[in-house]
Amino acid sequence: MIPLMVAFPLLFGFIIVILDTLRAKKILIKASFILGAVLPAGIFLVGNGREIVGGWSRVAGIEVGIGEINAPFIAGELMLFTVVAFYSLSYFDFRDKKTAKALVLFLLMHAGLLGAFLARDFFNFYIYMEIASVSAFALVAFSEEPGSKKAAFKYLILSLLASYLFIFAIGVIYMETGYLNVELVAENALPSRELSTALGVAFASLLLKAGIFPLHGWLPDAHSKAPTPVSALLSGLVVKAPAYGMILLFSALPVGESLKTAAMMVAVASIFFGIVMALLQKDAKRLLAYHTVSQMGYVLLGIATFNFIGAAYYALAHSLFKGGLFLSVGSLGTRSRKLGEFGYRNAPLMAFSVLMLSLAIGGVSPFIGSYAKGLISSGLEGGLKWTVLAGTIGTLVSFTKLNYHLSRGETEDLRPSWKLSSLVLALTTLGAGLYLGAGLKPTDVIYIAAAVLTFFGLRALGVFEREVESEAKDVGRDVNVLAAVFVTFMLAVLLLQWP
Amino acid sequence: MKMSTVVRSTTKMISPFLVTYAAYIMLYGHLSPGGGFQGGVILAVAVILLITSHGYKKVRKRFKFNWASLIESSAGAMLVLLGIAGIAFGAFYSNFLPTEGGVIVPFNVIVGLEVGAAFTFVFYILLRWVESD
Repeated sequence: MIPLMVAFPLLFGFIIVILDTLRAKKILIKASFILGAVLPAGIFLVGNGREIVGGWSRVAGIEVGIGEINAPFIAGELMLFTVVAFYSLSYFDFRDKKTAKALVLFLLMHAGLLGAFLARDFFNFYIYMEIASVSAFALVAFSEEPGSKKAAFKYLILSLLASYLFIFAIGVIYMETGYLNVELVAENALPSRELSTALGVAFASLLLKAGIFPLHGWLPDAHSKAPTPVSALLSGLVVKAPAYGMILLFSALPVGESLKTAAMMVAVASIFFGIVMALLQKDAKRLLAYHTVSQMGYVLLGIATFNFIGAAYYALAHSLFKGGLFLSVGSLGTRSRKLGEFGYRNAPLMAFSVLMLSLAIGGVSPFIGSYAKGLISSGLEGGLKWTVLAGTIGTLVSFTKLNYHLSRGETEDLRPSWKLSSLVLALTTLGAGLYLGAGLKPTDVIYIAAAVLTFFGLRALGVFEREVESEAKDVGRDVNVLAAVFVTFMLAVLLLQWP
Repeated sequence: MKMSTVVRSTTKMISPFLVTYAAYIMLYGHLSPGGGFQGGVILAVAVILLITSHGYKKVRKRFKFNWASLIESSAGAMLVLLGIAGIAFGAFYSNFLPTEGGVIVPFNVIVGLEVGAAFTFVFYILLRWVESD
């Protein structure tokens, strides 16, 4: 039954292409899109456990399964994708011929992400992650904003470079152990130089695809230039697939202490780099994109400390609130996305959702962010616990800035479905937090107060006046620089594991 | 772009054989080297050869752009349906046909159609940019 979760979006994707070629009625296309988006959720609720596609043996077959580590990933995917599906039906309004194609790409991304999260072997994980990425490149290029084609190109080249190195690493793993299945690899893997090389290459390429600090260069452009529902999916879900891949890698291969420490340091650097860059942004969607860099740092922190459940729940929490934030900020700022030029002053419902989502991303209880952050920091020791705390305050400062600017501007017509989707996601973050048992913590009031004070302090000092990193002009040079950074980083990871 | 008479008559003669060969590779993919993908590529080559020798406009009149799209998408849908049909016999893509090769034969044929149509489709789209004829 589990493979049907991938089969339904694919099937309805093909059906939409048939209907579009035959020039069928819009309502039929819309209905098949919604069916493809929603049906996998039904199977998720029914099916459980693990199975091998086609009933082959485990050595030769493709194993898929839903377990406690990937269930949060899948739950987050299904919840966010359903909301984004309804949002995008009103966003792409069939005025041009492109709409049906965009919907097909959405379903392909849905199938790819579900397949990647269900996978229990490296090769299938790679294939499905690629399906999701390829549809993501095309969807970024769908945007009519200036610079979106360049952003998509940069994303395409860097992501493919990382993919090829990742498949090379999988080849080395297969050569060394004779298996692709994660558990069989784990049983047969003995520490060796080849395996640590494969681990280093695969780790570096997944870091690039997840957009974590030294390799994040493509992310802010791609995530901010994409159409709003696509931004929500990119930030909320597409960067989670490589994170799941890292969990698979770390649970199967012998990971040395040096690599673990390096991963932890990268995670901490990513958390603070993302926050500092977000504080200096004037473009609202770019601010959110830099927060993805920062939040993925927390996920990596969970993975680096082998706290896979914590990382999975953080990924779930991040998909919900970051998807919601992108949807709400994107719908508020249809005219301009510059901070201070738009806001929610005349849309109280939107204001309520954005405030709730901001509290959720800051890790304030009883939202789901607080539960996930608690899980992550429960696996950490002394010093690192304080970094999580400092990261929380930094995130809250940055979102105080966002809300400060939003509360002063006004917005034009908002469609009811846009308001509703933000509200649904905001309520989901609260509901999921309460369901998982995130209790009220009185200390959160102190953090919020500290964050607001810091914000006004920094504003008085004039930190927000400056803006870093304007538009890139030459894409070719950008790609060269980022590829050089990637290769250098990969070599550093490989040399770190020198015995 | 229309090529010389020699090229045009040669491709006209070769194309039917290419289609036959593609069908052979698809149908015997489970016994001999080959399979759906390879058969599909050869199928697409038969069309692409005709396009390059006779010109885009002439071939497009016989083999329409929309047909390629339609064959491609319906083959994709059939592929998924074949897997779903296996659910009735125990597992997704279970081998439920009692014949030699089981579901691999229909699978290969469908993949061949899918790949052949998709390659033709891609070639048509690329030709739009070249602005041929």
